Amino acid sequence: MGWLVRWWNDPWRPPRIMRWVTILYLVWSLAPVLVAILFSFNNGKSRTTWQGFSFRWYWGDPNLSVWNDTSMHTALVHTLVLGVVSTVIAVPLGVLFALGIDRWHGRLPAGANFTMLLSFVIPEMLLAVALLFLLTSVTTPLQLGTSAQVVGLVTFQLSYPVIIVRARLLTIGKHYEEAAIDLGASQVGAIRRVLLPMLGPAMLASAVLVFADVIDDFVIVRYLSGGSDTEPVSVKIYNTARAAPTPALNALATLLLFSSIAAVVIGYLIYRWLTRGDATANKGIGGFAGEL
Amino acid sequence: MLKKAGRKSRGRRSLLWPALAIPGIVWLALLFILPMYVVLAIVFGQQDPIFRNAIPVWNPLQWNSAQFQYVFSNIFGANAIYGPAILRTIVFVLIASCLCLIVAYPVAYFTARLAGRWKGVLLIMLIAPFWISYMMRMLAWVNLLQNDGLINKGLSLGGLFNVQVDWLDGMPLTVILGLVYGYVPYMILPLFAGLDRIPQSSLEAARDLGAGRFSAFVRVTWRLSQPAVIASVLITCLPMLGDYYTNDMLSAQPSTSMVGNLINNTVLTPGQTGQAGAFVVLVLAAALLPMLWYVRSTRDEGARS
Amino acid sequence: MPDQTVDNPDESRAHRFVRPPLSRRSFLQRSAVAGLGAASLVAFLDACASSNINGATPSGSPGLQIATPTNPVLWPISADNPVIAAGQKPEQGGVLQLYNYADYIDPNAVKSFEKKYAAYNVKVQISTFNDTDEAMTKIRAGSVPYDMYWPSYDQISRLVNGKLVRPLQQSYIPNIKNVWPSFENPWYDQQWRYTVPYTVYTTGIGWRSDQVKQDIGGLSNPYASLWDPQYRGKTAVIDDWHTAMMLPLLKAGGTDMNVTDPAQIQEIGTQLTAMQAATKPRVTITMYNDISTGQLGLSQFWSGDMVNAVSYLPSGQSPKVLNYWFPPDGKGSVDNDLMVILAKGKCPVLAHLFIDHMLDTTTALGNFSYIGYQPPQNSINPSQLVSDGYLPANLASCTVLPEYFDVGFRLLEMSPSVTALWQQQWQKFKAGG
Repeated sequence: MGWLVRWWNDPWRPPRIMRWVTILYLVWSLAPVLVAILFSFNNGKSRTTWQGFSFRWYWGDPNLSVWNDTSMHTALVHTLVLGVVSTVIAVPLGVLFALGIDRWHGRLPAGANFTMLLSFVIPEMLLAVALLFLLTSVTTPLQLGTSAQVVGLVTFQLSYPVIIVRARLLTIGKHYEEAAIDLGASQVGAIRRVLLPMLGPAMLASAVLVFADVIDDFVIVRYLSGGSDTEPVSVKIYNTARAAPTPALNALATLLLFSSIAAVVIGYLIYRWLTRGDATANKGIGGFAGEL
Repeated sequence: MLKKAGRKSRGRRSLLWPALAIPGIVWLALLFILPMYVVLAIVFGQQDPIFRNAIPVWNPLQWNSAQFQYVFSNIFGANAIYGPAILRTIVFVLIASCLCLIVAYPVAYFTARLAGRWKGVLLIMLIAPFWISYMMRMLAWVNLLQNDGLINKGLSLGGLFNVQVDWLDGMPLTVILGLVYGYVPYMILPLFAGLDRIPQSSLEAARDLGAGRFSAFVRVTWRLSQPAVIASVLITCLPMLGDYYTNDMLSAQPSTSMVGNLINNTVLTPGQTGQAGAFVVLVLAAALLPMLWYVRSTRDEGARS
Repeated sequence: MPDQTVDNPDESRAHRFVRPPLSRRSFLQRSAVAGLGAASLVAFLDACASSNINGATPSGSPGLQIATPTNPVLWPISADNPVIAAGQKPEQGGVLQLYNYADYIDPNAVKSFEKKYAAYNVKVQISTFNDTDEAMTKIRAGSVPYDMYWPSYDQISRLVNGKLVRPLQQSYIPNIKNVWPSFENPWYDQQWRYTVPYTVYTTGIGWRSDQVKQDIGGLSNPYASLWDPQYRGKTAVIDDWHTAMMLPLLKAGGTDMNVTDPAQIQEIGTQLTAMQAATKPRVTITMYNDISTGQLGLSQFWSGDMVNAVSYLPSGQSPKVLNYWFPPDGKGSVDNDLMVILAKGKCPVLAHLFIDHMLDTTTALGNFSYIGYQPPQNSINPSQLVSDGYLPANLASCTVLPEYFDVGFRLLEMSPSVTALWQQQWQKFKAGG
């Protein structure tokens, strides 16, 4: 027993327990998904019994595969459209908001900042129901369907770029901007030529985050969907998982996963390119992850 | 000359910053504040006598609290039909959050302080679940937990025992573990960020001053990481309060209904829209304090750094 | 097809007077509790009604006219929602928006329609709903211009009064001759001004004989099996408040599925709570899949879903494990679903043509094979469904006979305040209390 006590009390022993907890956690968190991906390549109709490898559920099957089932590829395309459009609106809106709020002092901007932070932490369900009520009981130019979904997603995601950009603004400080103005740049010029390039990595990180979060979204897009052509992948999974799913559903989810991996990889490559002249930036994958 | 002009433009109250912020402010006012008011107008509004759909009442002076009282009396009153679901939500969220913390803390601690050169890779793997759709992760468990799924097959050790657990038949355990599985990645990252910030030197100082492994942890690491713990617990708790889909995917039985299910069941049913709104107001009221706490703590942090 | 008429007013009136044999004492005991619960709801409804005076805009006529077999209704056609002109061409490039339950129409029927009108470049798009309450809310919100909807007759009054449906131009629908004659002048829509029948079905009990050892159909009260604790965790009820809530009434031998007495409605809720405690049923509409994969052993079932379940069985599994019971004398729940054209749709002509297409004998039979729900077509002989290969022999009980409509019980539309009382009990059940 003595060695056990000594081992326990040794302040510099390697952290074996923690390591195992971490490894087990990673297995637990990733293995089920890997199994689901594996079964998307199953040759049979089962999602639990392996019947050989095939691409049947991607394009082989004439009726049920993702490629041939209209409702499935419509869902995938719609998800990606929502992701791109929401990102394109939310990130610029958020960056401008962050810049404005950061330098404009007073009650109104403080209140706006507070509201923005509330929109970050509010349970998504509540925002979704509130937007649904707005759209069904008030006459607005928005209709349930793509436009309503985009508007809802932008509202919910707006806080990401704002928070990330504001954090970056704090570390940048005002010196560069002031130096630029002292050298004769106008205020707008200083923002455009100095501040925005320095905010590049932060904007990129928030774009990747918003995109990934949008294509993962379920609550808002479900309540604000119109006809079946506006139901994205997450809603399709929810609707079908309880009825009669085939491995095509796994294939659909796998394709969505690949699109978000592609977004991250592209984001990383752009990050490398953006920080190419910046000796202080951590160019490794960890640095990019740190921005996220 | 130019220099002077620059100083001058900085000196006067520039309209530039408000102009930058206005689009975002208008957006939030129209699509965040206004919808909340619509909820109130519906909760305190009326019903169409035939279709029983909600008719919002915009003037607060004409508001009618009947629906709110109805929900309220059904939670706390003698005939508390919603009571069990509310209680269940609290219990589920509490247990799931505790389990999340028990899992997340060691993982975040290891990654932040002990992983060494593996840190980057580990971080990528910890972030990975973010890129995988929540629904896909639940679907993965639906596959595994089916009666003939891998979990039952694994438990029976290849037919050695006859294990027939109906995991997907309204087991609270399945739903709670589903919540943990779904939300734990959201907890690890803020925890990691908090733990990563604790300077190694303060820990070493504690050890040098004779603190044991355990007391060094409790007195230094745990204490310094407390803000991160609270923030990360809040950031996982709050969305769980509105969750209904985890329960729908993994159980689909009334015996595991949560508040989210109550809202989801009623929000599109004629005659009950107002009640769904009343639930929204109640959840919002319950979530408001934690939300304010979170907002305040992040604002303080921003001011400090 | 012999000319059975569906409605025998005298007989239905007779069974409507028979109350479920709930003991008087249990009513007295429970009325106190019911009073407490109902008090808050009544206050709520009163408040709504009284406050309507100041400012709000109640829609439609003052009250709902409700059709029953003994009170057939001829719905009016209003000037602002007229019948469309006869003899028009289909909308060029039109997208026909269908709003339906999931898995409730044959994709081939849709494809053959698109092919038939390929010259007009027609597309069909299907959106689905989980229950008809959700559907009504979204139709009324009107944000998607759906052309067609598949309701049951228990919504017809609200659909017509709210001017949500378009009256039919019958000249586009010659195939009406193919359906059972009784549906050319049904009690819920005299002169079929707004509706055509889609399917007929019964609501009974389905079970798997490999999981349930008893012969449920042979029990003295098959409905009671859903309260039998030995099937805990294996049962389900249909996720539709009226359909599921008639179970306690049927179990008690009731014949009126539309009770209005608050105490009786309260008793239904009590029975559901007892069921919840005894068997923890799932509440779902996908039992056709769940029973095939073995997730369920015993469930309330729509006859069509049971037929449909056969095609969801894993390969190699014999359909013999599936069983369905409905009272052979027809004294159970019998219903039919409808097709209607929605007023806000963009393609009214195509919608009429689609209805006619679905009533075509070939399409209807193909659709039957796919969805499992029997169409009321003259061309199929209900007594030969098994020999004609539509049903496996052990599911012959899924046949819907025209005679059932003479004696069966109907789920009728109810007044808003009674509906509210029913739904209150349903919510209590769904909250898992």
